[in-house]
Amino acid sequence: MTKRRKWTAIPGLIALAVGAVMLSAYSGASSSQHSSPVQPIAFPHPVHVQKLGMNCLYCHNAANKSMDPGLPAVSTCMGCHTMIGPDRPATDLGPKRKSAELEKLYKYANSASVGAGMGPNAKPIPWVRIHKVPEYVHFPHTRHVTAGVTCQTCHGQIQKMDRVYQFASLNMGWCVSCHVNGYSAKEGLEAAGYSPEQQGTPATPAAATVASGERKKARYDCANCHY
Amino acid sequence: MSQDTKQTGVKRRDFLKVLGASSVAIATTACSEDAGHLIPYLVSPDQTVPGVSTYYSTTCRECSAACGIVAETRDGRAIKLEGNPEHPLNRGALCARGQSALQGLYNPDRLRSPMSKKGGVWTAITWDAAIAQLSAGLAANRPAAGGAVFINQHESGSFPHFLDAWLSGMGMPAHLSVDFEADSAAIEANRRSYGVSWPSLSFKDAKLIISFGADFLDGWGANVPQQLDFADARAKLDGAPRFVYIGPRRSLTGLNADEWIACKPGSELSIANALAGKGSVQQAGTDSGVDAAILQRLVTELGAAKPALVLSGVNGENALDVALAVAAINQASGAVGVTIKPAQPITAFDGMARTDQLLAAVERMRAGQVGIAFVRGTNPAYYLPGAAKFAEAFAKVPFKVSFSSQPDETTEMCDLVLPDLHSLESWGDAEPLRGTISLQQPVMDPVYPTNSTTLPAALGTADVLIQVAKKDAALAAKYTAADYRGWLIAGFSGGAQALAAALPKGIATGTLAPRVVAAAPTAPAKTTSIATTQGDFFLVTYASSLLGDGRGANKPWLQELPDPVTKICWSSWVEIHPETAQRLGVDRGDILEVKTANGTVRAPAFPYLGIHKDAIAIPFGQGHKASSKMAVFDPMHHDVNAVQWGYGRYARDLGINALDLVPVGTHAAGGFIWTATKASVTKTADHRVLPSTEGSARQHGRGIAQAVDAADLNKPAAGESESLPGDASHAFLPGLRAPVAADAQGELGSPTSADQGIKKGMYAPDDVRGMSKRRWAMTVDLARCTGCSACVTACNAENNIPTVGAFWQNATIFADARPGFNIERGREMNWIRLERYFEGNPDGKFGEDFETRFVPMMCQHCGNAPCEPVCPVYATYHAPDGLNVQVYNRCVGTRYCSNNCPYKVRYFNWFGYGETDRKQYAFPAPLHMQLNPDVTVRGKGVMEKCSFCVQRIREAENRAAAEHRELQPDEFTVACAQGCPSRAITFGDAADANWTVAQLASDKRAYHVFEELNTYTAVVYLKKVNHPAGGAAAPRA
Repeated sequence: MTKRRKWTAIPGLIALAVGAVMLSAYSGASSSQHSSPVQPIAFPHPVHVQKLGMNCLYCHNAANKSMDPGLPAVSTCMGCHTMIGPDRPATDLGPKRKSAELEKLYKYANSASVGAGMGPNAKPIPWVRIHKVPEYVHFPHTRHVTAGVTCQTCHGQIQKMDRVYQFASLNMGWCVSCHVNGYSAKEGLEAAGYSPEQQGTPATPAAATVASGERKKARYDCANCHY
Repeated sequence: MSQDTKQTGVKRRDFLKVLGASSVAIATTACSEDAGHLIPYLVSPDQTVPGVSTYYSTTCRECSAACGIVAETRDGRAIKLEGNPEHPLNRGALCARGQSALQGLYNPDRLRSPMSKKGGVWTAITWDAAIAQLSAGLAANRPAAGGAVFINQHESGSFPHFLDAWLSGMGMPAHLSVDFEADSAAIEANRRSYGVSWPSLSFKDAKLIISFGADFLDGWGANVPQQLDFADARAKLDGAPRFVYIGPRRSLTGLNADEWIACKPGSELSIANALAGKGSVQQAGTDSGVDAAILQRLVTELGAAKPALVLSGVNGENALDVALAVAAINQASGAVGVTIKPAQPITAFDGMARTDQLLAAVERMRAGQVGIAFVRGTNPAYYLPGAAKFAEAFAKVPFKVSFSSQPDETTEMCDLVLPDLHSLESWGDAEPLRGTISLQQPVMDPVYPTNSTTLPAALGTADVLIQVAKKDAALAAKYTAADYRGWLIAGFSGGAQALAAALPKGIATGTLAPRVVAAAPTAPAKTTSIATTQGDFFLVTYASSLLGDGRGANKPWLQELPDPVTKICWSSWVEIHPETAQRLGVDRGDILEVKTANGTVRAPAFPYLGIHKDAIAIPFGQGHKASSKMAVFDPMHHDVNAVQWGYGRYARDLGINALDLVPVGTHAAGGFIWTATKASVTKTADHRVLPSTEGSARQHGRGIAQAVDAADLNKPAAGESESLPGDASHAFLPGLRAPVAADAQGELGSPTSADQGIKKGMYAPDDVRGMSKRRWAMTVDLARCTGCSACVTACNAENNIPTVGAFWQNATIFADARPGFNIERGREMNWIRLERYFEGNPDGKFGEDFETRFVPMMCQHCGNAPCEPVCPVYATYHAPDGLNVQVYNRCVGTRYCSNNCPYKVRYFNWFGYGETDRKQYAFPAPLHMQLNPDVTVRGKGVMEKCSFCVQRIREAENRAAAEHRELQPDEFTVACAQGCPSRAITFGDAADANWTVAQLASDKRAYHVFEELNTYTAVVYLKKVNHPAGGAAAPRA
């Protein structure tokens, strides 16, 4: 074996490597699934959702109306936090303490003190985006929310996440698998932390549908999302 | 063997190295791209939902007519303009120029800040400094204020009154409200004959329409309402009026006529007199060079047609005489009150100044009597012919202020520029019809706010004038309102509350005081008669129906839109009759040198059947002159950009200015004489390929554009076979029989499907199982279509279609690259195109009439699409609801589909028009703000085509689903159908008989293009209806 002959094998291996990269790009391994960036304010979803019982739509108020779910304006945060300042008294949420995160919020909102509200030099909070589909994908939140798909079905149990991470791969195969196999209202409600029998859920499908575990299928041809 | 492998094989160590490297590569890809940041609002604006459009009613200011528009805004940016259905003038329709207002708003050449010229050098200044400079300039030149001139682009509404009041407060005379495109002769004749400047015209009540060069579909008068009414008239089919066009050049309006009588320029008066019975037909025939028998037939026809509608748009030296003669014919035929309605006047032209007044002002400047000159929204340095020597006179004015929002030839000569807000950013009103006030409101915050702590962010010309008045001791008391909006509210009956109540509809009732203008001159201005000029050909110049008097030239949509008549874009051209061209040895594209006593221009020849053999025609609107460059900070790119003075990047060094050839003269009504001289034509050795989208002007028997004579309409149609493929129970309406290709995704082939094992899929178009309940389809009524091409621009706006003919964005890629280069190479990119076919007169003989047929051609969404099976990557497929879908992210650009498409409606992204880092990027900031967020911006190497506005279908479906209901019939429509000023296009679900489209598709005129190819198209055309002259004298081929 000459040295020359030995190295002729390298281009083949490089091609193999390129192939592997290509495969990985299409396999889902390149998804940003599980990414959990540090946010400018460590917003505690569990406190707001589980302890205070706030509905997702209170802040993400366009999710049932628009392609975009909507992001709470700083004024939405300050709607409550004008009165709920960084100095937290002892409550069932914890002992008396100073909240560093609320101090950050006050800084963004340019709020001088509790009760003062937003100041003139308020700045938007630059949240780090987690969930993103490519520009050639049109994902209508409204269609899914109004069909009764719970937020947790795609976003995971946000209500339990101290720091939000990307629950699903958001790859096309993941989308299509649900459109083909169907969405189960029972599973969706369970993911959202509701017992299927519980009444007054955000979207209440017919009890029979829930009980039967029937799966609702949806169109999955390309032009449903790609245009 | 094993020995061999061992010897040549890679050592374990090397293998692991490579493996490690590829793992790193995979890991790198796995690290996802930065998804960016999500920036929330500080305070959510009321009544807006992110990602959902908000619509504002306002008024279009692109021409004098002032149509009502609805601006679609998404997250604070206007993305699409549509006609306001509530508006009595345009009833929901909008022309190409109106659609393109967005490209004025987001024009990349818009001035970002005020500019001041010191010692010949322009510098950007702050708004506070600019207003101070304006005040100081006014004070310094006050002694000469009596001779001040304010030239404003004509508009109706309150602003002219506001401006006159401000000027008089400053001791200055009333302003000149100029519209260079307006037909002063027709206006003057209307005033004298009917007592109003422009009566409403009712084409549908006429028995016969005769137009003497009145191009009511090209911009003459109030374009959109006229086109709506004309289309309604044509839609009466066998009851429709016959339309005869008389003039030396067959314009778009002329092409819509049933008969063209080609007369010599200037001879219209003889013909009009003959029609009125005041002159002999023989004499008219001799003067005009028209066969007297044809004129005699017309006289007889006119005598029998009561009421008729006769219009004059003649712009020669006897324009007023023709207009008055025509008015007399109308009065005699009982047309007044029936087809001509002075009781419902269009007031858009009230208070307008004429060209003779403008020229008189220029002479005053030349004599040094003018101390201050203002120019707003108009560009006399461009449109006044070189012979008027405007620049020389203007230079003598000591203080010149421009309110232009873009650099142009006039602004370049000024001392100070305070860029005006765009009409979509500012308040205002208009009175398009007597008694109707059309309101104008800002649909978004200004693209370039003032960035001043002392001034409001939005500062239009009127606001600037208020700011100046507030600084003036004598005037301050009169201007209590903070801004022009406040001034408008103070004058609005009912005040702020009533205005707020009226704004959603965009209209209010009320009448504004008419503005008084000087009476027409008693005698025409001194001018040389066309008969005494030297040359072999009459020179016909006309305002382009798209670029107008040149003000549309820097809008890439209007440059890219092929001229409706010649199908040429991004160029000037000289129209010459084929017979004459043959005589001179001139071929299409040969550069001609056209010479008159006033100048010489060189432009490519376009042999055109619709021009008199003794005349040549050159469109007006191109030929903007470039000049010095200057650096300006570009806040969008955080970059210092070179801004070109003279005119914007899309019109720079493009074509020639036709009025360089024309002498200065005004006719008896004070209007400019467009057809004023003869010209000599010489063929040069140069040649260029015309940037044209016209494949062939002839159909070659392919039956693309079909027509039927009105007399044959009710004859039984030739028996058509009903036994077409498909399940009889699913047979569609006669116009749309084709079943939809069965479920392409494999519901049929799915192992769990009841039809397991039947794997026909899309390749069995007659298998209707798996079909969705809807079949999206379209009808195009060719009896209504006038070929105006507004649909093309509407589509460009809706679907993020790049303008590919534009000169590379400040970069040269090929040495011979020039505007229209891509079009010359057949790389055009309009999802819908207007095909224009000539019928008859195949030898191109002069005097033989010909017929024109227009066909809007877009993807036909075939049920059995030839493009689908040839795609190797399944990037085009058939959706269950009948759409032929192009999936951009699957497409690899083989272009097989385009090759296999019989309709040639697929377009390829040859360059990265949608990619910001490419030199060919078609949306330089801030043009990209117009992009529709619902539609993907395509990348390089991707095929694209009409999607039937699938984003609108999805939006409507999503809305219906959110409201837990079914889609309602005709609930929404596509962009081309929405804007169409002829109402020729109808879109909807052909599978549901409640939709209009399903009813229209069963019309007896319905046909599919290339039906013999078994493509089962979803687009149904309704045949054009012709109205040949009765009797044997018909000159049709």
